[in-house]
Amino acid sequence: MKRRIPLILVLVLGIFAAIAFVVPHPSVRGVDDVMRNDVLRIIGAFSLVLGVGSIIRHHYMKIKRKAEHWPYSWVTLSTLVVSAILGLFGGIDPNAPGVLFRAGGVGQFLSNFHMQTLYDNIMVPLAATMFALLAFFMASAAYRAFRARNLEATLLLVAAFVLMLGAVPLGRMLIKPLPAFAEWILTVPNTAAKRGIMFGVGLGTIATSLKIILGIERGWLGGGGS
Amino acid sequence: MTPQTGREKRGFWDRLLLVDRRWLYVVIWLVVMVPMLFPFDIKPEAMPPVRKLFEYIDSMPEDKSLVISVDYTPDTRPELHPMAIAALRHGFATKRRVGVLCLNTVMSLGLAEGALRQVSEEFNSRATTREDSIINGEDYVFWGWSYPIITVLLGMGERITRVFPVDYYGHRTESLPIMASLKNYDDMGIVVCIAGSSIPLSWVNYAHTQFGCQIGCGITAVSAADFYPYLNSGQFTGMLAGMKGAAEYEELVSEKMVELGYEWDLPRKGTEAMSSQTAAHLAIMAFLIIGNIAFFITRRRKQ
Repeated sequence: MKRRIPLILVLVLGIFAAIAFVVPHPSVRGVDDVMRNDVLRIIGAFSLVLGVGSIIRHHYMKIKRKAEHWPYSWVTLSTLVVSAILGLFGGIDPNAPGVLFRAGGVGQFLSNFHMQTLYDNIMVPLAATMFALLAFFMASAAYRAFRARNLEATLLLVAAFVLMLGAVPLGRMLIKPLPAFAEWILTVPNTAAKRGIMFGVGLGTIATSLKIILGIERGWLGGGGS
Repeated sequence: MTPQTGREKRGFWDRLLLVDRRWLYVVIWLVVMVPMLFPFDIKPEAMPPVRKLFEYIDSMPEDKSLVISVDYTPDTRPELHPMAIAALRHGFATKRRVGVLCLNTVMSLGLAEGALRQVSEEFNSRATTREDSIINGEDYVFWGWSYPIITVLLGMGERITRVFPVDYYGHRTESLPIMASLKNYDDMGIVVCIAGSSIPLSWVNYAHTQFGCQIGCGITAVSAADFYPYLNSGQFTGMLAGMKGAAEYEELVSEKMVELGYEWDLPRKGTEAMSSQTAAHLAIMAFLIIGNIAFFITRRRKQ
């Protein structure tokens, strides 16, 4: 029963969702509207609670067991708590502080640590730094690993060359039609290859969805496909 | 044979091939930093995907709104934020009603808020009349973020105020004057989704396929190849790809603003960053050439 009910729900709702996408009848639309706007949102809200609960539990256990890198779990949990407090009670508009910062004294002092300030000064530099490292790894890979060992690798190398030069103003200054040629590579050969891949992915997605809806693929229930 | 002799035998090309990677990192750091401090003059020339998007926004009927879906996170900010800024300037300068939302993640909210604050201040600090001012709730609305994606995309086709009962700042959307003429996709001229992920495809799948809404996209250069099939099929009206796309769009918007009498010297981060990007591309190309020459010479010697 524990497995049968979820399977029946997936079968019924999966078929209904597919029908609702193509049948514009008001009765179908009405039910679809309730499912999407109400039911889906309630499930989404539950999943958020579940997600927060799960992350707290996971890191609490790590700290309790002194597992590898456990001090980082303190960082995760404390940032979760601080950002939640600021987000819930600190307001979102720097010109109109939330209840937390309305009082004078400490509240006034803390208003400097507004959600947007926190975001601009911590989140933005951290994420940008992580992504910026990519430039160094790309340069290193270009020097050490990108070799014209065979015909395919040479073609790839030449295409990369044209695209890189076509993407900067110098390319146009050196060879006027180069940016247009780079655009042609993306528009014609690239699109042809991508479409083939996309058809394959699309058919694979339909097959997998059908397997899940019909209960053939049961990995999502947990415990593998048995 | 001593190790010293072995090192002596190593030729120039061998040593070049085995150069410490930290030297490569230093070179990349320099070629990115120096042009940032001393940028060289670049005038971007718009490619067809950028021009198409610009012309569509520029020529859409006056009663249609421009909607910008800010779906990038701080990691892709240098490439994508200039697009959002330029799109907002384009919308405000041409007196369009502008709607802004974040579809993909809450991480984008701070960036969208920052972009709106910056561009509205650019206009309001120079405004002399109400017509010149940009007012929240009248000229633009920031809906914020909602979940799940499919509910938002399909729900906006029926009634936006139902999907976003309150805006980002907590105002009831029903009470905002702008919402009287921005009810659903029928009132939108185009949705420009600026994203560092595949989220523009969700706009195509639901808003374009089911409701016929025009979609444009701003994406990172590295993911541009994935979006070209949709551009060719007409599912995307136009596309801004990477820093180059941002710089080209900034150029077109700047020309338009001058044409409309906004002769302001506004910062253009995409164009400014093109100097660094040019230098970095050239450095990587030089690495490719040197690395390959060294590889082939050493391989021939070994054979």
